[in-house]
Amino acid sequence: MKSLASGNLKSFGWRSSTVAMVIALLILSLVAVGYGRGVQKGTAPADVKTGIGSGHRKGGTVTIPIVADPTLNPWHPNSYIESLLINRVLFDGLTKPGKNLAPAPDLATSWETSKDGLSWTFQLRSGVTWHDGKPFTADDVAYTFNEIVLRKELGANGSSYFKAVDKVEVTGPQRVVFRLKRPFAALPAYLAYNAGILPKHIFEGKDPWTLTSFNKETPVGTGPFKIGKYTSGQSVELVANPDYFGGAPYLDRLVFKVVADPNSQIAQALSNDLSIMILDNKAAVDRVKGAKNVTVYPVSLTQFYWLALHQTNPLFNDVKVRQAMAYALDRQTMINTIDRGYATVANGPISPALKAYYNPDVIKYKYNVQKAKDLLAQAGWKDTTGDGIVEKDGNPFQFVLDIAKKGNLEAVGQMAQQYLKAIGMNVQLNSMEWNALIQKDIIKRDYDATINWWTYPNDPDVLPYFHSSTVKTGNNIPDFKDPQLDKLLELGQSTSEPAKRKQVYDDLQKYMSNTLPYVFLWYPQELQVRNNNLRGVPDLGLRDALHYVNEWWIKQ
Amino acid sequence: MYPETIAKEGVAILRFVVQRLAQSLIVILIVTLITFFLVNLAPGGPSAVMRIEATQAEREAILARMGLDKPVAVRYVQWLAGAVTGNLGTSLATSQPVVKRIAERFPFTALLTLCTMIVSVTAGIVLGVVSAVHRNSLLDYAAGFLSVVGLSVPAFWLGIMLILLFSVNLHWLPSSGIAAGGNGFDLADRVSHLIMPVLVLSTTTLPNIVRFTRSAMLEVIFQDFVRTARAKGVSGLGVIYRHALRNALIPVVSMIGVMVPRLMGGAVITEAVFGWPGMGQLVVESANGRDYPLAMGVTVVVTIIVVLTNLLVDVVYSRIDPRIRMT
Repeated sequence: MKSLASGNLKSFGWRSSTVAMVIALLILSLVAVGYGRGVQKGTAPADVKTGIGSGHRKGGTVTIPIVADPTLNPWHPNSYIESLLINRVLFDGLTKPGKNLAPAPDLATSWETSKDGLSWTFQLRSGVTWHDGKPFTADDVAYTFNEIVLRKELGANGSSYFKAVDKVEVTGPQRVVFRLKRPFAALPAYLAYNAGILPKHIFEGKDPWTLTSFNKETPVGTGPFKIGKYTSGQSVELVANPDYFGGAPYLDRLVFKVVADPNSQIAQALSNDLSIMILDNKAAVDRVKGAKNVTVYPVSLTQFYWLALHQTNPLFNDVKVRQAMAYALDRQTMINTIDRGYATVANGPISPALKAYYNPDVIKYKYNVQKAKDLLAQAGWKDTTGDGIVEKDGNPFQFVLDIAKKGNLEAVGQMAQQYLKAIGMNVQLNSMEWNALIQKDIIKRDYDATINWWTYPNDPDVLPYFHSSTVKTGNNIPDFKDPQLDKLLELGQSTSEPAKRKQVYDDLQKYMSNTLPYVFLWYPQELQVRNNNLRGVPDLGLRDALHYVNEWWIKQ
Repeated sequence: MYPETIAKEGVAILRFVVQRLAQSLIVILIVTLITFFLVNLAPGGPSAVMRIEATQAEREAILARMGLDKPVAVRYVQWLAGAVTGNLGTSLATSQPVVKRIAERFPFTALLTLCTMIVSVTAGIVLGVVSAVHRNSLLDYAAGFLSVVGLSVPAFWLGIMLILLFSVNLHWLPSSGIAAGGNGFDLADRVSHLIMPVLVLSTTTLPNIVRFTRSAMLEVIFQDFVRTARAKGVSGLGVIYRHALRNALIPVVSMIGVMVPRLMGGAVITEAVFGWPGMGQLVVESANGRDYPLAMGVTVVVTIIVVLTNLLVDVVYSRIDPRIRMT
């Protein structure tokens, strides 16, 4: 008995030590995982930068958070918010947003439109090379548009912005012509918006979406930084491109680090692990402002929040009802509560960020419950039963407001519900997961009302969100049809002379503030959190500021 | 133990393992069937299709390219045909093979899981035994109190608090990732990146082990054979280690068996807070982005791990407790 027990014990002991050894080996091999992974490309020589002056210092690394692994191709259908930032650094468009947001030269040095507005000629920069050393030519531009963007079956990201483009012709080694189906005055501005040019010599004959060696490993662009090392789930490291045509960057490296959790992003900004980030959760702004190593910069964006009232529901057809709802919402209080004041009340789609086009002289819809109730009464909605809900022909005013569980949308929906209740509307909130909401409200258009936002290129041409041609299948979410509005939108697209264009969009903003195709809520500001050692960042939203990343530098 | 007994036992274990593996195949098949239909029939679709600004024409083009215009049943048969040959399909989000995407992340989750298991099992058993032996002492109460706290504190909160303390204020530990930038392999650096995630994960697993060990020990400690051993003059520590603990370990082992697959499936929140590039982030990504092939791939891998862990636990049972025989 005794010997049996000890024999058992011995063998047990032997086994535990083996197990321990195996575990130790396993851990060692696992700890070593990731070492030497990824693609290592040649790094830039450190001493090529010329013309450093006024305290600008060469060198250093800037780290920017992204929420997931990016796709390094600006036209890829999966190139989403996590990819936008990095693609603006790797690739160049024909134009880029100027520091005043008007389109500025990038790969194109100048452009002009024909008299009939049906073609745009772009003179391209000479002497530009791709990151792999091959020369950039007009063929690359033509290839990007003709073979990727304009091929409907590919469903390229943002291709609907270029619906007016018929084809791109090469008319000289450094010149291309965009042939249009109809006039499109905003083309230079749209070309500055996520419209990076791809290298023909790599994509030719390949499927642009499954070419993972490019999209996920070693992209080749013309931008100020080129790919260093892509480590899935962790980071994408870029190294300076000394041959960048806009001047070699001061920084040595630019790291896009995957930090999915917004609170972790804040903590990392405070611990100097991140150099610059967008604070999505504005409620956290006071906490960040208290920190000594970072500064918060509010920046205006071309973005507006809206309440869409589905026009297939007869409740919302009467303009007086829509106006009543605009008066009923205390949007300034909503901004103060939800966005900590970092937004401007909107009465149209064109944001004050577009200083040249923003028209403040429109109907303001200042919070006024009585006026809202009067408008409802004029439309025939009165509380005859005394239950606090207005009725018409015996039917109560009630509808479902679909809200995505994303960002601050649920809070917006809850406040809107309360404000609308105060004028006698019975609003039921339906909170949904983002994906499911898109399926129901946007694709099937099976909804009463919903709240969301649009972000658009730095141009007042907002046709895709309002024109009757985009009802049901496009971005006209309320399915709002108005021939007068269509005319104004088309006029804007065909007018390229600046003074005339401004007049058209002034009229458009006035008209929209009266008819309310959407109930406009506000223009949010971006809260940019920057480390105090980071200098040279222009006063633009982070996405636009990245077009100038070669000017960024780090103070010692 | 006599040689022929060992041989007999070896055959028994082998037969048992083979039987269980055959059963497991059926389990895995059923799991994939249910999961495939669940994820594919959930409202919504792949994120490329579900961009708010995409137009109907863009959506249809993308769906057709992804092959999602075919019926779900057809897609399942196609998927299964690929899966049995080891081809788990192509991720809808990245166009990369699912196997590659999982292989990239799996080692990091495995590392985190293994370290967490080692920390929580060693600390848990020691604390559990000490609590049991010195039951109702200050130490026992402290361990009990900390266990409750550990179970109640949400991982995301604890994670952020640790980052604020050790990274933001004290600058002792890195706030996220698996290694600092730079290319050399540095063991100290790797370990420093592991500390906080392992600590957070352990707080969720450790209390269970402490409680299980403690109650199992208390059951055993008063049994006759332990008293007999003491009477025979075996030293205090010897009694606890050789007699009491071995018997008490049985429920603890089963507890560990439950924990492993849970950790292996990815510690979703902990990984997000510490930017740990493991399976958890893949799970979230595949669910939110309706990346059907990736979701299936992760499911298959986690199912296999669950099945294997259970099998392993059963085998280990029989080694710890000779009364349990393989049948």
